[in-house]
Amino acid sequence: MGEDWLVVTDSQDVGALSRLLPDAPVTAMVIGDRALAESAAVAGVAVVHWIEPDEGVPAEAYAGAAAASILASSPRLVAATALGPASRAVLGALAAGCGATLLSGVTAVRDAGDRVEVTGGAAGGDVVATYAVPWPLCALVVPSDDVPAPDPSVLVAPLAATDSPVRVTARRVSQPSGLADAARVVGVGRGLRSKADLDLVRGLADRLGAELACSMPLADDLGWLPRDRFLGRSGQQISPRLYLAVGLSGAPQHLQGVRGAKVIVGINSDPGAGIFRASDYGIVGDLYEIVPALTEALARG
Amino acid sequence: MTTVVAFNVAREPAAARILADGSVIWPTRKLPPAEDDHAALSAAVVLADGGELVGVTLGQGDPVWAAARGTTRVLRISDVVVGDDDSATAAALAAAVAEVDGADLVVLGDSEHHPGLAPALAGHLGWPCVLAAAAAARVGEGVEVTRRIGGVEETISARLPVVIAIVAEGEETSPPGMKTMLTARRLPVHDLVATDLALEPVPPLEPVQTRPPSSAAARLFDGDPQQAVGELIKALRSEGVL
Repeated sequence: MGEDWLVVTDSQDVGALSRLLPDAPVTAMVIGDRALAESAAVAGVAVVHWIEPDEGVPAEAYAGAAAASILASSPRLVAATALGPASRAVLGALAAGCGATLLSGVTAVRDAGDRVEVTGGAAGGDVVATYAVPWPLCALVVPSDDVPAPDPSVLVAPLAATDSPVRVTARRVSQPSGLADAARVVGVGRGLRSKADLDLVRGLADRLGAELACSMPLADDLGWLPRDRFLGRSGQQISPRLYLAVGLSGAPQHLQGVRGAKVIVGINSDPGAGIFRASDYGIVGDLYEIVPALTEALARG
Repeated sequence: MTTVVAFNVAREPAAARILADGSVIWPTRKLPPAEDDHAALSAAVVLADGGELVGVTLGQGDPVWAAARGTTRVLRISDVVVGDDDSATAAALAAAVAEVDGADLVVLGDSEHHPGLAPALAGHLGWPCVLAAAAAARVGEGVEVTRRIGGVEETISARLPVVIAIVAEGEETSPPGMKTMLTARRLPVHDLVATDLALEPVPPLEPVQTRPPSSAAARLFDGDPQQAVGELIKALRSEGVL
């Protein structure tokens, strides 16, 4: 039986470890800087193999080299999160290289002898599905907050980087919008009828001491707010203590940007809106009635 | 130097019918385009730069949809359908790409629901990939890709061959009209079956068991707005987030 591996290319990837088989020693493959490699040296990891990308080379350019190194151990299970492109690139190369099943949204795996039982979300997370597939398995897992304690005794072994046909030629970091560190965020969607009505939602955000954000169409298609204010898969991804979604349907694209929120509240006139399936609390009603009422109630203290 | 675009190769949850017991029923005949397909097609048209643009798809793909958006011909593996194993889907697509003479650039949507598909396609082809791309253009003998992740925008140059996975940043703004769609019906479609490509004809991976999620539904307040907001504020204070 081969080894179990964890691929780490993002600081949150170590949170995938608790999704793997308990008591099975795991080898980590890290593509990133030294700090990332050292962050993977935690309890449950036997050894960390580490590729440090050359200047100007994206981590995913080393997917082939990382996959080749893992394949040499005849892997049984390789897991990563889908957070960063590089982890996905490694698992894609691996699955092709060893004929593994490649599943995403995985929350648990169970050793069932000559097969592995895999559980995870399917159909956008609206159902929990279980699969029974032969080993080896490549699993894109849902990250967990349950990160094991650091273990300084874990060996961090560098691997040589190889030449790459892919290079980053320019990199531009946007001015911080304030969303990343905000404790409270109010997001608004197409339930809002006009740009002028943004003031209504802005008033609520001010009263809450919250940052104002929006769905992709409000920034991209309508231009009502700057692009750095839209939340979603291709936009900002936030982890506030409170996220208040106003007039948002709850499209998967948007929800991916707010999954880290501690408490999500939806305000929508449609009780069947998808936002309520992702929320902890919700008010079913017209935002043009609810938002002023909420702002006034907060002002009263 | 031929550009290939893969389309209708990812299942969107919105197309699924979910029964009360958690069973999922997917469309059997035709898959609706995935969320990122239109953006992948647009990028592929730019990358083809007036040259041949070959569409590849599986049994539930709609060649007319792609032809109306710029493919010059479509190759379809008619007896393979999309399942939950992204590597199996990618293996079939890679076999289709191998049928296209001179293919050195493959573009497809970077599906949120099939995040392993594009990288596994690159793996089966033995090519590098650039994922989560927003736009791409040919520059010299290679391609230049723009991508935005969080607050960082990168420009990436890649030599060919390469797989580029595109994330849509908006909805399709100008879908083709009826006349274009009718013309697209006349464009050639080359139907193959798995055995033509030396693929093992296996059924798509589906779960052995499904159930509704156990997580509690949202606590909803409705009725009088004043009362509803009062109850919400009380709940949020008890959560410690106000």
